[in-house]
Amino acid sequence: MNNKVIMWSVLFLILLGLYILGEGMIFVEGIRVKFAAILLVSITIYYYIDRARSGEEIYLRTIPGLKALEEAVGRATEMGKSVLFVPGISDLDQVETITGLNILGHVAEHTAKYEASLNVPVSKSIVMEAARDICKESYLKSGRPDLYSDDMVHYISDEQFAYAAGVNGIMEREKPAACFYLGKFYAESLILAETGNSIGAIQIAGTGSMAQIPFFVTACDYTLIGEEFFTASAYLSKKPELLGSIKGQDIVKLMVMATMVLTVVLNGLFQAGWINFDILSYL
Amino acid sequence: MLLKRQIPLMIVIGVGLLTLFGNFINNESIRDFVDNDATQWFDIIASFAIFLGALNMLKLQLIKIIKKQKNWQYSILAVAGFAFAIFAGFFYRGANFITIADIQDGQLAIVSGIIAEELNETNPYDIKTKIMGSQDEYEIDKLFMTEGNAKLLMEKLTPFVGVINLKSKPWGAHVQTKGSLFYWMFINMITPLGATMFALLAFFVASASYRAFRIRNFEATLLLVAGIILMLGRVPIGNLIPWWVVSIMVMFGIGAIAAPFIKERKILLGIVGGGIIIFIISGTIMGWNQTPPALLSIPIIQDWIFAFPAMAGSRALMIGIALGIVATSFRIIIGLDKSVLGG
Amino acid sequence: METIKKIFILLGSLDRRIIFLIVGLSVLIPLIQPEWVNFPIRPTPESQIVFDEINKLNAGDKILLSFEYGPSTKPEIHPMAIAILKHLYAKNIQVYGFALWPDGNFMSTEAFSEVSDDYDKKYGVDYVNLGYKPGGEAVIKGIASDIRTLYPVDLQGTSINDIPMMKDVVNIEDFDFVFSLSAGFPGSKEWVQYACDPKNIPLSTGCTSIQVTDIMPYVENDQIRGILAGMPGAAEYESLVEAELQKMEIAGKPGEASGMMAAQSIAHVVIVLFIIFGNISYFITRKKNRKG
Repeated sequence: MNNKVIMWSVLFLILLGLYILGEGMIFVEGIRVKFAAILLVSITIYYYIDRARSGEEIYLRTIPGLKALEEAVGRATEMGKSVLFVPGISDLDQVETITGLNILGHVAEHTAKYEASLNVPVSKSIVMEAARDICKESYLKSGRPDLYSDDMVHYISDEQFAYAAGVNGIMEREKPAACFYLGKFYAESLILAETGNSIGAIQIAGTGSMAQIPFFVTACDYTLIGEEFFTASAYLSKKPELLGSIKGQDIVKLMVMATMVLTVVLNGLFQAGWINFDILSYL
Repeated sequence: MLLKRQIPLMIVIGVGLLTLFGNFINNESIRDFVDNDATQWFDIIASFAIFLGALNMLKLQLIKIIKKQKNWQYSILAVAGFAFAIFAGFFYRGANFITIADIQDGQLAIVSGIIAEELNETNPYDIKTKIMGSQDEYEIDKLFMTEGNAKLLMEKLTPFVGVINLKSKPWGAHVQTKGSLFYWMFINMITPLGATMFALLAFFVASASYRAFRIRNFEATLLLVAGIILMLGRVPIGNLIPWWVVSIMVMFGIGAIAAPFIKERKILLGIVGGGIIIFIISGTIMGWNQTPPALLSIPIIQDWIFAFPAMAGSRALMIGIALGIVATSFRIIIGLDKSVLGG
Repeated sequence: METIKKIFILLGSLDRRIIFLIVGLSVLIPLIQPEWVNFPIRPTPESQIVFDEINKLNAGDKILLSFEYGPSTKPEIHPMAIAILKHLYAKNIQVYGFALWPDGNFMSTEAFSEVSDDYDKKYGVDYVNLGYKPGGEAVIKGIASDIRTLYPVDLQGTSINDIPMMKDVVNIEDFDFVFSLSAGFPGSKEWVQYACDPKNIPLSTGCTSIQVTDIMPYVENDQIRGILAGMPGAAEYESLVEAELQKMEIAGKPGEASGMMAAQSIAHVVIVLFIIFGNISYFITRKKNRKG
């Protein structure tokens, strides 16, 4: 077995042991399983980040939605129309919004490269500031700071449907050739996607809001479903550390699946009276 | 560079680790920070940040008006709406109410009658009882948006009461109080506008389903069939669909699934048509007209689809999304993902 | 035969505006003429569970009613709020209103004012509205630990020490039940995670139809007792409450959701028909293209 695996396993056991020893005094009682889970997940992800940094090749399957990003911006440039990027309606405290803004950085690099105009209507003021910083940085990185303008990223409204109405209005008036919906969405997702469809734009969507995924799948050309959306920044940047974290995430998912199977089996045996160990009470 | 990159990164890492591991530390101050202060700091920052957004919106709309850019007339509406909301929230309170005390002897019935008429109550006796039951002063249970309207009632009551005062609900509370201009604006403008936008979803669902639900392959057929069953099962009309209609739908569904495998259309038609006839005849013989089987009831099939396949799929997606969030948060907390900081 | 094929091809390529018009009419006509269409409402097991749980409560019990919806979701959730209030008032249960959304204040004010007078309920004695506090989950945690610090005054600015029914209320453990009228975040899930599950307080919820898949896992695990799913759920609950009020010989106004179910039913049927026509047209066109 790999020395690093042994080292991390020992570290995990030491930290868990320290937690159990300190329970009631330094640490909160009754949540050691939660602590162990967080520790295990963190160590697993970090282990694979470390392996990626050491030069290991990480394979990521093709995600059509992310591959089509550059193609969509190119299409907008050819048609002489703008690119619309909607980073969702939540604030920066939501991970989906952060992920959406990560992707905005990559989209902004492409729009800078292709000299396409970018329009980013936002629903929250803090998101507006963060998005502006990201776009400015991207345009600078692409060597086209002259093309950047603060008005690219503008505030519409905090109110959900006022925002949807505003974005719809932008779509109907400006008729962007490419629409990106990447962030946290609620009921307004279908309104945006259908309007984008009616103006003939190429649409790429991604969200962690489970209930909105079916609407995006129905109305958009490409949809990033579930974790595909969260892997976007790693996928697009191709940085080894980020790719390593994706592999770590997948391994954690494997562990979750194994735990589920084990729990079902053990619980079944307990219910049948074959063993005395009730795994559910432990979890 | 230090101010723009390193210091924000240190803050992200420090606060992230504190909030994460603070849940496990048995210390009152840390628990307080994690449970209350951390989220409240964010709310305070977000509340002040609203000025940035509002000013940005105002700036863009005013530029449009001043430079008479395309569709500048709509920007006037946007600015007017903004100004009206500020006026209703900060300058014009409304929510006026009247209090009375020291009613003159023998005038209680008259006062009750006047108030009952104002409140559109048929029985002034209830008002009389409430006035008699009140200790210091009686607050008339009606809010007036304008002082003028309130004064009309005051004029009617003044000859019969010793003390009559016109008051307003406190600033802040007035926003949520019926009778204030802000409340009126919310109920009569924002509520219908919001409901209208939400109602657009009905039309968009129809056009999206019409366009997207096509039997192109097995998965699309499954989606279509499940969608139709769920749509009909969720509403009362689903209860009225008889078993034989469901059996026809089942046979059509089987036909659609088998279609890519059976090239001969006549054989397919025979299977589907024959199946329908057999279903209906055997069902009639078995008395399904009186007691239809649960399997051929749309609401029950819908309940099953919801409780099992849909639930399984959504749980799997939920786990995947949760893991994605965990991994992304981990990358941000350890400072690996710096893109949100602009780099 | 050719004519029929042409009709189906036409039906399969309708302008979306015609679809909108037909859907609009299918919703409007049953609303304008409700007596033309009347469908019996069958309560689902989940709605029945909600009803039974609230019916188990006794006079004088305390319920925390949380308003987490706004104007856009009002048509779906407000009828639930009205039906719940009627049920609670009929059983003389004390109602404590909270809101986790700013819009929830307006919704709660409207709901209380719509129902309270019909049941002769007095503010401060039978119901109180503590209103909205910013903070989302932090507010729920605060309610779970210490309401009096979090809410020194009610929505109108009256000190809670001057409100009779707030006398013995310190935290969520003083409540017998929690009901969340939820349209998003923060909502029912947060109530489960931060208050009701840790403190073992029974919780039920009424939510928009789209949220049901998110919340069902909690219902399956009994962390949430039953669920009123969207407008159908509201209509089902209204029918259960009306039957109960009739049993108690209390007169009441009919609920809004029941009247809207006919419109929703017809709209769903119209959409299904469009899907079917669209597919028939798709097959005919595909066959034609293959032959051609």
